[in-house]
Amino acid sequence: MTFWNRRHVTIAAVALALGAYRAHAGAVLDRVMAAGTLKVATDANWAPQSFVNASNELDGFDVDVAKAIGKHLGVKVEFITPGWDIITAGHWAGRWDMHAGSMTPTKKRAEIFDFPAVYYYTPAAVAVHKDSKAKTLADLDGKVVGATSTSTFEAYAKKDLTLDAAGAPPFEYKLNPKEVHSYENSTTAFDDLRLGNGVRLDAVVSSLPSILDAEKAGYPIKQVGDPVFYEPLAIAIERGDPELSAKIADAVKAMKEDGTLSNLSEKWYGQDYSKTN
Amino acid sequence: MLYPDTVEAEILVHKPWFVATMFGVVLLLFMAFNMSGTSFAELMRPVIGEPSVSGLYGRFAIAFAIAVIFTLNVVLIGFAPLKFQIGIVWLELLLLFIAFFETFHLSLPFIREKLPFLISQGVVTTLYVSAISIVIASVIAVAGAVAKLSNNGFAFAIASFYTSFFRGLPLLMQVYLIYLGLPQLGFVINAVPAGILALSLCYGAYMTEIFRSGIQSIDRGQWEASRSMGFGFALTMRRIILPQALPVIIPPTGNQFISMLKDSSLVSVIGVWELMFLARTLGQKTFQHMEMLISAAMIYWMLSICLELIQSRIERHYHRSKVR
Amino acid sequence: MRAPAIIEAKAVSKWYGQFHALKDINLTVRKGERIVICGPSGSGKSTLIRCFNRLEAHQVGDIVINGVALHGKMTNAAVRSNVGMVFQHFNLFPHMTVLMNCMAGPMWVKGVSAANARKTALRFLERVRIPEQANKFPIQLSGGQQQRVAIARSLCMEPAVMLFDEPTSALDPEMVSEVLETMTGLARDGITMVCVTHEMGFARAVADRVIFMDAGQIVEEGTPDEFFSRPRHDRTKLFLSQILKH
Repeated sequence: MTFWNRRHVTIAAVALALGAYRAHAGAVLDRVMAAGTLKVATDANWAPQSFVNASNELDGFDVDVAKAIGKHLGVKVEFITPGWDIITAGHWAGRWDMHAGSMTPTKKRAEIFDFPAVYYYTPAAVAVHKDSKAKTLADLDGKVVGATSTSTFEAYAKKDLTLDAAGAPPFEYKLNPKEVHSYENSTTAFDDLRLGNGVRLDAVVSSLPSILDAEKAGYPIKQVGDPVFYEPLAIAIERGDPELSAKIADAVKAMKEDGTLSNLSEKWYGQDYSKTN
Repeated sequence: MLYPDTVEAEILVHKPWFVATMFGVVLLLFMAFNMSGTSFAELMRPVIGEPSVSGLYGRFAIAFAIAVIFTLNVVLIGFAPLKFQIGIVWLELLLLFIAFFETFHLSLPFIREKLPFLISQGVVTTLYVSAISIVIASVIAVAGAVAKLSNNGFAFAIASFYTSFFRGLPLLMQVYLIYLGLPQLGFVINAVPAGILALSLCYGAYMTEIFRSGIQSIDRGQWEASRSMGFGFALTMRRIILPQALPVIIPPTGNQFISMLKDSSLVSVIGVWELMFLARTLGQKTFQHMEMLISAAMIYWMLSICLELIQSRIERHYHRSKVR
Repeated sequence: MRAPAIIEAKAVSKWYGQFHALKDINLTVRKGERIVICGPSGSGKSTLIRCFNRLEAHQVGDIVINGVALHGKMTNAAVRSNVGMVFQHFNLFPHMTVLMNCMAGPMWVKGVSAANARKTALRFLERVRIPEQANKFPIQLSGGQQQRVAIARSLCMEPAVMLFDEPTSALDPEMVSEVLETMTGLARDGITMVCVTHEMGFARAVADRVIFMDAGQIVEEGTPDEFFSRPRHDRTKLFLSQILKH
């Protein structure tokens, strides 16, 4: 068990002990409109969805989507970058209003969050070291696989994934690893993979975009097999504010219709992930 | 330094058996590694030919050369006067570290480009979070130490519960508890105050124990003299006991400060853009995070060195009244 | 008319747990009197004078110091500034200069201005004949000098009575006389003092009364002449023979 994994367990325990916290209907929207600012939580460490760019500001697909939503609501957007575990623990307590960080709308998460809109789909894929002889996913049977802690990639590797969000395409488990190592983010997993084929890891399950990015940056890795599943990714808010939910849903719908989402996806990924194909 | 003995032992590194053992150990150690791909092996090319095909002979030759250099170096340093020894050994270790970092093939331009932001945002945040926490922790520590030494049952119970609780929980857990837990009680505090609170409470607990033992180290006679002069408790504490306890308190407290400086990185988990957060974030997009991590490591080290210097300054200051 | 009583102890008893440290002590010290208390170690003489400024609490009987009763629960330590105490191990404040050691009491307890406290301090340092050491730290002084500073420090509070708890026992032999001379000087000036000491020469020369304690009791008291020439009790005789042998 890694440090980060354990940390997640403690977070869950703390969150559980503290009991559920619910936003009051309309309260968050009222606050956002009154302040004229939408506070958006996102990751600072997940290029190209969200990262700190050359001028030391947050940038990326998720960041652009959040800004576009803000524009639709007619408010400014302010970003906050708490750890992923802290965001998924709930109890936002008004510290931020919305999460734009490529969250998969699972049923479990739906107990704490509302998901107003799925705004794109990420193909999840498996990466191996360049020297690996694996040709298909079946060649990775009984190997050691890494994935970001508490992510859907980890859940997939552990055969514990339920993509129960509306519009999620069906998938099959094609990976039979011996062991699954958890990492803080995909980069640390790639770092272990780059050490050599099978040195610490035989493969990493991650999003196809981040695999391609790492490859482009000179990591000695390559994709193997087809994407294993398409992950719907949604905007998340705390449960209990249907008005805010409706507003965000409208905004995303409009962005889908006028091509904003497709354009942003092309800009950041080179392809249109805003729909499955 | 220890109390020096005027009967000097023979210099260890000049004893033949020691030199021989050292030579043997280094030789065996480097025999165990295949060094044929290193730049050192390239230097040896005239002796061993093409390094990759030099086989056992090449290995032995490389290890032998390294062992000779190492042993000679140690023996020669043994002849130098004390100050020189310290300087040379520091320098050599530093060079080894630089050589180690060299192996990462770091992009210096990238570091230069990001350094200003690393400092203006990261170091500044790290420093002010640590500095405020240090001040609050010191205040807590004095109060806690007095409470722990008092005859008041309430004060003792609260103080001992506090130190036990906050020393017993991982700091990371405290950060989460305060950041996630306080809103449940109606106090929504932001990441920075939450981090400062967690650091202060945790380090206050450790420092309470340091202060307590410092206060207890003062001779009973000082209390008696103060009382016989008619000084009250607060006056005795403030003017007589604490000033004398400080020289005892300062070395371990300096340790605490240095370790707090580094533990302040834990508040990065709640999204504070301090040094550690930036180190893990800035290089991500371009996969140059080793650059940032190593830069941050160096910055932490330099900050610690500053604290060490300040500590030794203060220690020297308090040494004054002990000099005949 | 008799001088007013500075210390009045009536039927004082004290226990440390089961150990009966002071047994039914009765003692009156009048203004200007010089008392020497002697006795074997463990006889309770130090305990007795530590009760006089409430460094220790007695359990039975009355102690009245300069009109202030010291029994039962004490909530005000102000009486202590009426009683000067000189310790066997000096107990100077090592982090302060000699001058500051002497100024601290008047400034912090009595609220005297720094300038006046300084004047007083220098006057008493003069009196113990070490004004030139004023700006040194205690550790830079010899044991005898330190003890004289300690005496000056107590005098600066201008107490009604000075208590000495074996002031020369921790000193090297050659330094004993400078401290005794200082104390003799104070005695000559009419300062009320109670002195626990083994210095029988000092007792003979200075004391108005010598008190001999053993096993927590006052066994015998009298003028030095009576005490040294015609001791009445066997225990006193034994004690005197032991310490005057040399």
